[in-house]
Amino acid sequence: MALHCPTPIPARAGIGLRSHHFREIVEAPPPVAWMETHPENYFGEGGTALRILERIRTGYPLSFHGVGLSLGSTDPIDPTHLRKLKVLCDRFQPTFISEHLSWSSVDGRFLNDLLPLPYTEESLDLVCDKIDVIQTDLERPLLIENVTRYLTWPDSTIPEGEFMAAVVRRTGCGILLDLNNLYVNAVNCHLDPVKFLEAIPPDAVQEIHLAGFDRVGRWLVDTHGQAVYPEVWSLYQWALYHLGPRPTLIEWDTNLPPLAELVEQATQANALLGACHDTVA
Amino acid sequence: MTPLHELQRSFAAAMVGGPGERVVPSIATGISSRGLALYRRLIRNNYVQALTVTYPMLRRLIGGRYFSTFARGYMKRYPSKSGDLFLYGRHFSFFLFTLEAPRVLVELARLEWACHEVSQVAERPALNLGWFEGLAGVDPACVRVHLQPTARLLRFSSSVHVVWQALQVDGIAVAEIGRPLPEEEAYLLLTRVEGRIRMAELAALDYRLLTAMADGKQVDEVERMAMEVDQQFDFGRFIASLMEMNALVGVSMETHL
Repeated sequence: MALHCPTPIPARAGIGLRSHHFREIVEAPPPVAWMETHPENYFGEGGTALRILERIRTGYPLSFHGVGLSLGSTDPIDPTHLRKLKVLCDRFQPTFISEHLSWSSVDGRFLNDLLPLPYTEESLDLVCDKIDVIQTDLERPLLIENVTRYLTWPDSTIPEGEFMAAVVRRTGCGILLDLNNLYVNAVNCHLDPVKFLEAIPPDAVQEIHLAGFDRVGRWLVDTHGQAVYPEVWSLYQWALYHLGPRPTLIEWDTNLPPLAELVEQATQANALLGACHDTVA
Repeated sequence: MTPLHELQRSFAAAMVGGPGERVVPSIATGISSRGLALYRRLIRNNYVQALTVTYPMLRRLIGGRYFSTFARGYMKRYPSKSGDLFLYGRHFSFFLFTLEAPRVLVELARLEWACHEVSQVAERPALNLGWFEGLAGVDPACVRVHLQPTARLLRFSSSVHVVWQALQVDGIAVAEIGRPLPEEEAYLLLTRVEGRIRMAELAALDYRLLTAMADGKQVDEVERMAMEVDQQFDFGRFIASLMEMNALVGVSMETHL
């Protein structure tokens, strides 16, 4: 299958696509506006997962949410990873391609997690250079996502929102605003989500993520293993008021519920998006 | 080394070096040791999860606790080299071997890694009888057949596939698997048919013939090998069964100038 262009994603709710739900989705396509998946799960050159993604792609606009490019790493971009991503993007024509504003490798060793960056001029230069390379190679803009953090680097000199705004200004990339991450960081690291929202350019926000967290001791951990918490729904309403309606994803990666529960969460997001549309109109 | 490089190197050492490893003092000031411990735990869980996806039957056989212990040891010995975790775990059977783990665990890991690879390799158009019909009149000494990229030939010291098949049933007790395993060697052909992994036990001769084909021996030479062992060997039926298993991908002919 070769698609010629991405399908626009409306400002409605979508769900994360996980292999656990493949059969159900193929047999009875759920009433959601779009789907998002991790491209790394389809880096193999064949197999059932790719075939199913092709079927799903014919019915839904798709977004790719990468976890492996390690934008903030001092290591160079892995050319094999980037090539595989490009092949996949050319084949499936996702509407959005996003990555995390984090790092995960050093000296060729990968920690395979989304680790927090210190927000410094050095980090800013490095991230912008990498985004330039990726966007040139993929021939389309990238969205960058704010990540969770369980520590604060004392050397950080730039507030996170201002850092993201600077990245957007310098590279022309967009923002994937993860409100669960914002809330988790507010609790864990005493960061102010409202200040963050005020610092980022509203027009750059092209997608929103909603998810659930788990409590581990004193921490809120971004597990994507629960329904969206009321506090995050409230933040979502604030973000919609501030930004206007945006394509919104219900992200659920662990402890996966029945598909119907994911769809129900998407319906809840759609109700808020609908109210926001009405206000804007 | 730039400050960011120093920070990342130091952080990584604190993650994989265990709780005793500290982030260098210049960086550590003001950092919560609880935060570092949480990251250490999250990273470890990521690797255990990646290995669980690749080795589900091994995990089912030995239980989550032992599996996690092996996985943590593996993580230290074989650091990840890619942002794509598909390749993570390639050396798990060798790692178990070096630990002198029971042979059934080593071989089960080998089998599961092969399944993992076969599930994602690109498939090529399968060979059908028409190909052979088109070869009428061609000197068999010039013809070679090629295995599908999705086909894997495996040899084990015991019938580990019996364990693998028994474990497919969720919730099976280890005692139900049936012991002891037959001591004789087992030969397997793994393929992918319509997206599903197929596993066929091969006779020793079939395995030898398929290995010869995979090594590029001409069809007539492979047939001669079969006849030397068993004059009643039905070579046509052997090829037909390979086609049914989606194990063959094409034919090439040499032309003698």
